Amino acid sequence: MRRVRGWLVRLGGTFRKSRTEAELSAELESHLQLHVADNLRAGMTPEEARREALIKLGGMEQAKEAYRERRGLPWIETSWQDLQMAVRALKLRPGFAAITILTLALGIGATTAVFSVVDRILFRSLPYDQEERLVSFGVKAPFEGNEFMLAPEYAVLRAQPGPFESMTSLTPGAADCDLTETNPVRLSCAVVETTFLSTFGLHPLAGRGFSSEDGRPGAPRVALISYGLWRARFASAAGAIGKTISVDGKPIQIVGVLPQKFEMPNLEATDLLLPRVLDEAALDRNHPRVILRAFGRLKPSVTIAQAVVGLQPWFQDSLRFVPPQFRSEVSLQVRSLRERQTADSRVAAWILFGAVAAVLLLACTNVTNLLLVRAVGRQRELAIRAALGASRIRLARQMLTEALLLAFLGGIAGFAVAYGLLRAFVIMAPEGILRLQQAALDFRVLGFCAAVTLMSAMLFGLAPSMDKPAPEWLAGRTTAGTGRGWLRQTLVAAQIAGSLILLAGAAMLLRSLWNIQNVPIGFDARHVVIAQISLAEHSYPDPTKQIAFFQEVESKLSRIPGTEVMALSDTLPPAGRTQATFFAAIDVPGRPRPAQGTGGMVGWRMVTPSYFASLRIPIVRGRGFTEADRAPAEKPVILSQTLAARLFPGEEALGKMMRFTAFDRQGPWRIVVGIAGDVKNSGLTNGGDPEFYIPWKNDPEIYVGRGFVILRSSLSAASLAPWVRSEIAEVDPTVPVEFATMETRVGNLASRPRFDAMLLSFFAATGVLLAGLGLFGVVSFSVSRRTQEIGVRMALGATPQNISRLVLLSIASWAVGGAAAGVIGAWFGARLLQSLLFEVSAHDPALLLTAVLILLMVAICAAWIPARRAAKVDPMLALRCE
Amino acid sequence: MGDKADVWQGTLALMILKTLESMGALHGYGIARRIEQTSGDLLSVNYGTLYPALLKLEQEGYIDSEWGTSDNNRKAKFYKLTRTGRKQLERETRDWRQTQEILAKFLGAREQTS
Repeated sequence: MRRVRGWLVRLGGTFRKSRTEAELSAELESHLQLHVADNLRAGMTPEEARREALIKLGGMEQAKEAYRERRGLPWIETSWQDLQMAVRALKLRPGFAAITILTLALGIGATTAVFSVVDRILFRSLPYDQEERLVSFGVKAPFEGNEFMLAPEYAVLRAQPGPFESMTSLTPGAADCDLTETNPVRLSCAVVETTFLSTFGLHPLAGRGFSSEDGRPGAPRVALISYGLWRARFASAAGAIGKTISVDGKPIQIVGVLPQKFEMPNLEATDLLLPRVLDEAALDRNHPRVILRAFGRLKPSVTIAQAVVGLQPWFQDSLRFVPPQFRSEVSLQVRSLRERQTADSRVAAWILFGAVAAVLLLACTNVTNLLLVRAVGRQRELAIRAALGASRIRLARQMLTEALLLAFLGGIAGFAVAYGLLRAFVIMAPEGILRLQQAALDFRVLGFCAAVTLMSAMLFGLAPSMDKPAPEWLAGRTTAGTGRGWLRQTLVAAQIAGSLILLAGAAMLLRSLWNIQNVPIGFDARHVVIAQISLAEHSYPDPTKQIAFFQEVESKLSRIPGTEVMALSDTLPPAGRTQATFFAAIDVPGRPRPAQGTGGMVGWRMVTPSYFASLRIPIVRGRGFTEADRAPAEKPVILSQTLAARLFPGEEALGKMMRFTAFDRQGPWRIVVGIAGDVKNSGLTNGGDPEFYIPWKNDPEIYVGRGFVILRSSLSAASLAPWVRSEIAEVDPTVPVEFATMETRVGNLASRPRFDAMLLSFFAATGVLLAGLGLFGVVSFSVSRRTQEIGVRMALGATPQNISRLVLLSIASWAVGGAAAGVIGAWFGARLLQSLLFEVSAHDPALLLTAVLILLMVAICAAWIPARRAAKVDPMLALRCE
Repeated sequence: MGDKADVWQGTLALMILKTLESMGALHGYGIARRIEQTSGDLLSVNYGTLYPALLKLEQEGYIDSEWGTSDNNRKAKFYKLTRTGRKQLERETRDWRQTQEILAKFLGAREQTS
């Protein structure tokens, strides 16, 4: 206790100095007088008396110093002094401070922001118990991106789970479902097997999970609701459990609430989880119609490779459903859940990570370089302070305090940068960047980055203060600084190399983006407004009603003013699904089907006659559809150029016959009436599938649940929307309609590459800026070192141009060396980028050259400013500078 | 000075407390002289070290200080023992005695065995 009290009083003493200082002087003075008086009484002379008293006291100042040390807390005081001095030193050279803090802020901020994003994709654990044992498995086929399974085959496997401890499945594609009560809302419902929660190791937040009873046919209908829905709709009330709600007009009882962090393994947004009722008919082994996504929890210590081996017998057996000629294109796929989720984002995430690591490295070298330069510039100051009695420890502490202060300020600025960047990422990012919305600033990362930068800065920044100050430093004539010259130059060269790699990468992504945005899409997207209509299944259960709806919509919308052309189609280019069939499933008279392979996919669309005019897709030969073609007896078809060339190689396709299998039924023979230009139909960067068109008929045999209204109009989407909406509302006010311009739809396809390119460009710009700052710092330093030499040279007749050249040449070899190393690095590094590039070679010499030129230009600018300053040196001043 | 023992830091505090206990309020110079005299001039107090020790005791609350006038009419800062100081003195005296006894036994034992 007493010690604590003493410590507190001392802490107080640290800050109350002036009063006690006067008191101490008075006390010691009175002590001396008392002593002197005694001595005088003892018969000494006044001088002797005072001298003896002082000796006994041990010296006035020494006594005061001992007292002061006791009074306050000396280490706090010196630290405070160090801090004040550091602030003063930074204020003295605001340029240095600003550059250092800016560098730190960029390095720390960018790294933290990007890591916070990437972490979610690459490293953060998934919200399932022991997620490393979870896999997605099934059959991989050319027409579907993810592995899938047929329901009867799944049932076989479930009886013999092999490598799995447990397995579950869900119906692909969360479906729209409507909460049909007061305040109806559209939700998305996912249908899962009853083993879903137990396999993923999930526990409901409230209520119960599904039991196997829930999956029996005829069982009462139950559902789990998402945390979000629970909060929004039921205000998190416990009473929600057991409540019966009406979904698509049918009563369903809520039995539980999903955990807050719950996400579907296929990452689809889900409000309602329904148990799948396994219908015996769906398990008919001879007519497999139901497709599932299967997930399994591997038994402990079973690897994915072992699981693949274990599933082989089952896979071989299931192949009997696949027509023999397609078997070579079907394979068994087992992959970790994480891989399934991140397959698309992985490469981009790693590249982003690499880019940002490079920026952090650049920032580190820059700060190091700046501190090195600064420390050498302060040798004289250090020498003077050493001569005045400062200990080496004290000097080192002083340097450390400065480095810490810089790191602290840089860290704060870095935090601001990170926060801003993350906000910007979220705003600018296209839909579908994995888990970006959840990304939050990671303080561990912020700390880590600050620590890395700081460590490197201290390591090199402190080094000079560890040297024993040499007496000649006092003269300000130092040679020691040049000893570490190679280190500074190497750092600059490394920076140039690093930023060149970033720059080359950014150049390639930008070039690729340019290619993507200028890829011919085969139609004219300008002045086209799209209205997407989807009919809810519960209000339009049979095709006749759907047909009637679209018929009425078509006739109403064709009268909309300001519209040049109006068309309907079931799907739209340039991306998204089309109806599709195998190439091998298209028959042409007189030619047998191929024995092997699917021949790839062929898309087809159902369109009204004005479709080609509305999108300005050219009819190359023959004719487009007419209203007469919509009569039930007419069976015309229009092929795309590519399909025509494949189906009828070397022949005239017009007038030929073809038929295809759709909806499991052999279609009628159709006559080719026209050839249309190719249109992008599976994204901008893919080659695209061949396709054909059939007329939109009022034929109940073809199911039309949704459609697109295509309006070519000079009016904007915003002014057209209310018109269209009110016309459709007259037919059915409950049908939701979504509007977009065709240009937006096309532009969205490029948003992902745009985002990638933008990010990497940002990092490249940061890198180049850092390299420029580094170079600027080093050249400035070498100029100030050589002021005297420059003065002598000028006195001997060197022109300012000579001097500039001298300064520039001294750095040129390092810059060129760094650039050469960077070119080599970019050459190898770009290979990693290749999968993100579209029609750009990773080794495009023109792009590399551009990057080198940009960098050299920045380097020359950075070196030019100090070089010019050198040329302006007044020789007289320079010579007198000693 | 060399033939006189320097005062240990720890014992100086005890000596100050004891001096104040027996003498009442006293100024720094007085305390120093008193310690020297009591020790029979065997100890030499470096007067400079006295003041940090006084400050420490004051910070810990064992003594109080107050400006006053000395016998020969000079202004001086007078120190006096507080209640907790008195208790501390008792405690330290006891501790010191104990240490002394232990050391005495220890040294005695060594002499017997050697």
